[in-house]
Amino acid sequence: MFEVRNLKKVYRERVVLEIEHLSLPQGETLALAGANGSGKTTLLRILAGNLKPTEGETRTAPPVLCLPQRCYAFRGTVLDNVLLGARDKKDEALALLEETELLALKDKKAASLSGGELQKLAACRLLVSPCKLLLLDEPTSACDAAGTKLVLSLLSRYREKTGCTVVLSTHTPAVATQAANRLVILNNGKIEADGDPQTVLRAPESDWAKEFIAGWRI
Amino acid sequence: MDSFKQAFDLLFSLDQELLQILGVTLRMSFFSTTISCLLGLPLGALLGTRHFRGKAFLKKTIHTLMGLPPVVAGLFVYALFTHYGPFGRLNMLFTVRVMVVAQCLLILPVVTGLTASFLEKGAVPMIETAKGMGLSRRKVLFLCLSENRASLLSVVLNAFGRSIAEVGAVSIVGGNIQWKTRVMTTAIMLETNKGRFSFALALGIILLLVAFVVNVAASWIVKEEARDV
Repeated sequence: MFEVRNLKKVYRERVVLEIEHLSLPQGETLALAGANGSGKTTLLRILAGNLKPTEGETRTAPPVLCLPQRCYAFRGTVLDNVLLGARDKKDEALALLEETELLALKDKKAASLSGGELQKLAACRLLVSPCKLLLLDEPTSACDAAGTKLVLSLLSRYREKTGCTVVLSTHTPAVATQAANRLVILNNGKIEADGDPQTVLRAPESDWAKEFIAGWRI
Repeated sequence: MDSFKQAFDLLFSLDQELLQILGVTLRMSFFSTTISCLLGLPLGALLGTRHFRGKAFLKKTIHTLMGLPPVVAGLFVYALFTHYGPFGRLNMLFTVRVMVVAQCLLILPVVTGLTASFLEKGAVPMIETAKGMGLSRRKVLFLCLSENRASLLSVVLNAFGRSIAEVGAVSIVGGNIQWKTRVMTTAIMLETNKGRFSFALALGIILLLVAFVVNVAASWIVKEEARDV
């Protein structure tokens, strides 16, 4: 689970995030949407502990795992990368690689992977370890439709197995509706819409949200 | 050409004094580079990847010290280790050990500053990824150094280059004593002052050869590393 209260982040006198209250019970999945610069990544970085808020408090249930927006390929092979944080979980690592269709590439250098393959590898690398809170910043942004489907099904199985809470940011409505049971739309750092993804998408509460969703579907 | 011939004659004649000077030079450069890197690489990693109060001031101080004139460093270390100085009882003045201390004072800011600059530019996504995977701080720091080893090797080379070419500080604290603290640079200075230009030039060529061999070895390591990525 996680909870934030009176959260505020200011960058050089510009308020980039201002949330009075947001919480998510254990086992649920929240999708964050919003235009570029709306505060999605800032919120995820604060929850991950990579960024200090200017004001407010956050509560998270450890252990927290986080997939940043920019995927990084560590030295070594694809398998080395997955085993980096879990040396003793070779079988699980191989199973994850098989699920994401990366098994054939397991002995290839991670740095030679394409953007989409790297994103799948990053998901495997993270999901080999259990956690209570999983934070994913645009986890499928570089994947094609098939790759997105693989990552989402992997995520779904992981959630079932561990019972963790998931917060993910996305620019794809299908990801929000398939992966999450709650959708929050941010606008200039503030919550503009919050609720069940289908409801939020079908009947947006404000004119801004209506306009954003109309554009989002394109 | 005479100088080149003299340089090779000197090398291949296995002149005892030259070998001793070369030995002291390499020993001093090796220890000062090693100590500076052992302290400076982790310090630079912390400075380049962590945010803390006073970081901007510390960075400015380190950048200033990166340009510290060697004679000033020599003078400072001399004052510390002279008979009446705080470390006078150690009787280290005019020894290779104090030359290493003076060189560390010069090289440590270079290693720290360059490491911080390298890591500041490229390490943030790597660190966030590693931290996101739930790795311990120690492992993140180790990964940070390991992932950037090609860049950090160039920092080490830079430190070694500065160490082997330095003359001001080592001549003040080492005293350029024959068979004891004479290094290549102070020997070149002495021979030039004596008017033995060819001999000084020959020593200079040997010094360049040493630097060249070290650089070729390092380039080979970097190339092997790049192949390993």
